[in-house]
Amino acid sequence: MTSPDPDALATFRSDLAAGRWEDAARALRRAVDPALDFTAAAALARQLGKLRAARAAAGAAPKRTLGLALLSNYTATQLAPLLDLFLFAAGVEASLYVPDYGTLRQEILDPGSELYRGAGGAGPGISTVILAASWRDLAHVPAPGARREEAAAAVAREVADWSSLWNALHARLGCQVVQNNFDAPPWRTLANHEARDPSGLASHVARVNVALQDAAPPFVTIHDQDHLAATHGRWTWGDERFFHLAKLACAPECQVDYAHSLASLVAAQQGRARKCMVLDLDNTLWGGVVGDDGVDGLRLGQGDAEGEAFAAFQRWAKGLRARGVLLAVCSKNDPAIAREAFDRHPGMVLRFEDVACFVANWTDKATNLRSIAEQLNIGLDSLVFVDDNPAERLLVRQLAPEVAVPELASDPAEYVRSVERHRYFQTVAMSDEDWRRADLYRADAARKGEEAAAGGLEAFLVSLRMVARVTPIDAASLERSAQLVNKSNQFNLTTRRYSTADVLRIAHDPGWVTLTVSLADRFGDNGLISVVLARADGDALEIDTWLMSCRVLKRGVEQLVLNRLGEAAAARGARVLRGTYVPTPKNGLVAEHYSGLGFRPMGSAGDGTTRWELDLAGRAPLPTHIAIAPS
Amino acid sequence: MPPTDDVLARLQQLLREVFGDDTLVVSDATTADDVDGWDSLMHVNIIIAIEKRFGVKFAAAEIASLKGEGQNLGTFRQLLTRKLASAKAPPG
Repeated sequence: MTSPDPDALATFRSDLAAGRWEDAARALRRAVDPALDFTAAAALARQLGKLRAARAAAGAAPKRTLGLALLSNYTATQLAPLLDLFLFAAGVEASLYVPDYGTLRQEILDPGSELYRGAGGAGPGISTVILAASWRDLAHVPAPGARREEAAAAVAREVADWSSLWNALHARLGCQVVQNNFDAPPWRTLANHEARDPSGLASHVARVNVALQDAAPPFVTIHDQDHLAATHGRWTWGDERFFHLAKLACAPECQVDYAHSLASLVAAQQGRARKCMVLDLDNTLWGGVVGDDGVDGLRLGQGDAEGEAFAAFQRWAKGLRARGVLLAVCSKNDPAIAREAFDRHPGMVLRFEDVACFVANWTDKATNLRSIAEQLNIGLDSLVFVDDNPAERLLVRQLAPEVAVPELASDPAEYVRSVERHRYFQTVAMSDEDWRRADLYRADAARKGEEAAAGGLEAFLVSLRMVARVTPIDAASLERSAQLVNKSNQFNLTTRRYSTADVLRIAHDPGWVTLTVSLADRFGDNGLISVVLARADGDALEIDTWLMSCRVLKRGVEQLVLNRLGEAAAARGARVLRGTYVPTPKNGLVAEHYSGLGFRPMGSAGDGTTRWELDLAGRAPLPTHIAIAPS
Repeated sequence: MPPTDDVLARLQQLLREVFGDDTLVVSDATTADDVDGWDSLMHVNIIIAIEKRFGVKFAAAEIASLKGEGQNLGTFRQLLTRKLASAKAPPG
């Protein structure tokens, strides 16, 4: 694809002209694609500018939710609007600060720089800083012929330099940092020996890149620019003409995908990554139609090229599942026949157990996708729908526009690329929970069966033999806690997002109380499932953030957390607990959370926000069926 | 009056796209100074668009010279026409 979907563009223009802002924004999002050529993408970025100007003139400007600085020693004037465009497409309204080129270090090291003096004006403060470095920024390249020890020292100096920049930024702004790793240039003066010789530039780049990953603290995300350069082709990526001419660090045509890659990381930090891949069956997971061709007539697995391509696609999907992306099936099929292919076809790589939610029926797919989202307790905007049938894709785009629907190549050998190029499942960190998520969801299904069998809820809870570990946020729980803070939508009382850096600061602040709960039961370990951040305020403890994974709803974890909060408050001499509920389209589940726990209402605001208070004097802990593990 | 030369007509269409202005009219005599917003950033964007859409490639020095003293769209068009012709010419 080099130009945007003309339908989306036409819809955008008419919605914009008619002042239908949300519809216009949705159409523009649909037109944005990482495979657009530079001229088309730049034109869309201009359309975004028009939309924003029109909205601002009508007094309907959306709130900017992210302050972002893009620092580079090279020209970023082409990259910045594209970055803004892809963030917008991912649902992030950013306000961008892009200082002049060549000022990366000055902006960070000068305490009086614009970066630290409220750059961006009235917008949100800068909470993410991108360091768009390239191989030309390497300051300690070993001299030709340098020995191994000298080259190792050069790597250490290079990493120490960048670490000091990260730390300076973090100390002043408390921000997240996105740091490019280094793109090895295409030429090799040492030819094939370049990668082996310690003084070779390619060798130095590779070593620095590994060392950067190892040195990066939780508030730094390394953006794998070198992988981008390799996938585009290094000669294409590093178009030297535009460097000599205009100091562009990489070829303009590559900047579209480069911007998309950066935006996907920032969006993932904002909790915008997708969570579940919903797969069609016939001609998507295998060749042929199982209802017509029968299980034995399917093209799948060894023996022919098409069958191997389908198997390769399944292997890729299985890899996603292993790292925590949920898989679901949505197919127009007889459920028993569809299931038979999973059980009986020798070429199947995906097992029936790999599928968190299996829907085979004759209902329209938009309705089925809504039901899948509901069953998995995730939003429609967490789904990616993969179907070879263009008519189904069109239907879902129209009736469930929140779902991401990639165009699928007609050749199954290109399915992986068709989906992967969108970076839907971008991730900034992996936790133990991610690696085990698919099994957790399967255990949930087993628990649901148990619940039905156990008769009463009380008896069921006892039979679960739950054990909780309650700790403040510490080094071990920091990343998972920050991940939950940034992606929990449903059981989340205030939906306040804090970066890993913010969470770290709060955890160390004596004015705050932090709580995390990990829960195990007889079916397995659920991992860390609840986070609370509370701030001391006079004689009260104010609950700023209270969130929980929906997988452990109605198990008594809320009561357990309240008991612990009460203890923590009493230990600090606080007399009351205060809570706030801020309604969002997704957290209706907890609207009555505080009243259910015995808090009394303290009034409400026009936007539906409610305030609650609980007196701690003479209060007895609430009963639960959860044992406490020694911490 | 619309441009009569085919390359010039295509250039005009492309400049309209790059500048986001459907009313832009150019001729051989047009210089960068005549077009609102044709700064060095836009110059790079114009070159990128021409290379991609016409399937040609400019040398770094050519790109720089096209915005220089005494240059106008006519010199631009002539260079482009030469490149298109040599791209079509049989090898040898």
